[in-house]
Amino acid sequence: MQAQAALVDPGRGDIRLELSPRICTLGSDDKQCQTRVQASWHSPREESLCLVIVDRPEVKQCWERYAQGTYTIDLVFSNDVTFQLKDLELQHVLASEAIRVIREAIQYRHKRRQPWNVFE
Amino acid sequence: MTSRFFISVIALLSVNAISRSAEESDDCKTASADCVAVGHWNFGVSLGGGVRTNPVANGTNIPLVVIPQFSYYGKRFFIDNLDLGFTLAENDTNTFNLVASPGYDRVYFYRADLQNIFVSGFPTNDDFTATPGSQSPSTPAPEKFPSRTRRITYLAGPEWTFKYGPVTGQLDFLHEITDQNQGNEIRAAIGLPLIERRGILTANVGFTWNSAAYVNYYYGASNVYLGGSALDPFVKLGYTLPLSRKWRFKAFAEYERLAGAIANSPIVAEHHVATVFAGAAYTF
Repeated sequence: MQAQAALVDPGRGDIRLELSPRICTLGSDDKQCQTRVQASWHSPREESLCLVIVDRPEVKQCWERYAQGTYTIDLVFSNDVTFQLKDLELQHVLASEAIRVIREAIQYRHKRRQPWNVFE
Repeated sequence: MTSRFFISVIALLSVNAISRSAEESDDCKTASADCVAVGHWNFGVSLGGGVRTNPVANGTNIPLVVIPQFSYYGKRFFIDNLDLGFTLAENDTNTFNLVASPGYDRVYFYRADLQNIFVSGFPTNDDFTATPGSQSPSTPAPEKFPSRTRRITYLAGPEWTFKYGPVTGQLDFLHEITDQNQGNEIRAAIGLPLIERRGILTANVGFTWNSAAYVNYYYGASNVYLGGSALDPFVKLGYTLPLSRKWRFKAFAEYERLAGAIANSPIVAEHHVATVFAGAAYTF
C-alpha cells in the first residue's frame, strides 16, 4: 500500500477519484460480491488519463483532455478491488481508490463426531 | 469400584485435555462437513422411509419417516439434538467433551419418548402397551408392559472423539445422573469411509456397554429376572449423496446384537435391533 502511494504523481494530487459503492459486506452464506460499480473522477483542469483496475488488465477506460469522467462496470469479486487513474502511458498513478470487502466475522469450530449415533 | 473407574477415566481425560488446551484448533476457517459456525443454530430434517425393530416382547417396531434434527455450537458449549455438551479441549484430530445424553433404551417402551422424535422420527399413534401374544406352552408369557414406569433419564460423562486420516472415533463414559438407576454406559465406535466419490459410503462398528443397574432398570422383571451387565456390538453401513446445496440423499442400515443380559429377559423377544432408512435430508 505504501509502495502504491509512492507512485502517485505528487504534482497532480488534486485529481479526485470516487467509487460507489465503497464497501461490500459479505454475509455468512456469501462467497463473493456482485455489484455495479461507478467510478467518477474530477480535476480542476483538463487531463488525459486512463482508469484501470489492479489485476484486471482487461478493464481500461481512457479520456483525453477532460476535466471529469464517469465509468460504470459490473463486477464480481471476493477481495478488495483497487481502481487507479494513470497517465496515458500507464506509467504514473494519478489517483487510487479501493472497494473494501468486509466479511461478517464468523468463527468456526469442529462439529461433534458421532460414529456411535445411528443417524450420523 | 465402578465409581472409582469413572473418576479415574474423567481425571485422565481432564489431564489430557488440559495438556492439549494449548493446541487449540485453528483449521476450521469455513463451514464444511467437519466444521460448523459458532453461535448459529442448525436445523435439518430427513424425509423418507425406514424402521427400527423393537426387541421388547409385543413392542411395536418404530417407523422412521420424518426425522428433525437441530444443533447449536457455542465456542465450547453445544447442543446436539437431545445431547448437551461442553468442549474441554480440541485440536485438529482430538476433541474432549463433557456430555449429557438421554438413556437410550426408553425408546422401546414409550413411543412418545423424545428420542423417537429427534433421533428416530415423529411417533405414530401406536403405543407400546401390549398384551401377551400367543405363546407355546413351554414359553412363559411375556410381562405385560409398561408394567412399571421407566422415566426419562440422562447420563453424563467425558467423551473423546478423534479423527485420524479418514477414520473417526468416539468413546463416551457415562453415568446416570437423574437418580433413577445409577447405571453406567460406555459408547464406543469408529467410522471408516469405504467409498468417497460423489457419494460417501461409510462403515461404522462399535458397541454399547451397560452396567447391570442400567440393564435391570429397563429389562429387569421384579422377582423374575435380574440381568447382569451387557455388551451390545453393532455394525452400520451408511451412504450419503449430495443432491444440491441443501439436499442430500441418505440411507443407512444398522444391526445391533443384544447381549444375553438383555436378550434373556422375559420381556425381550428379539436378540437384535435392526434399523434401516432411506430418504432425503434437507438442511435449512
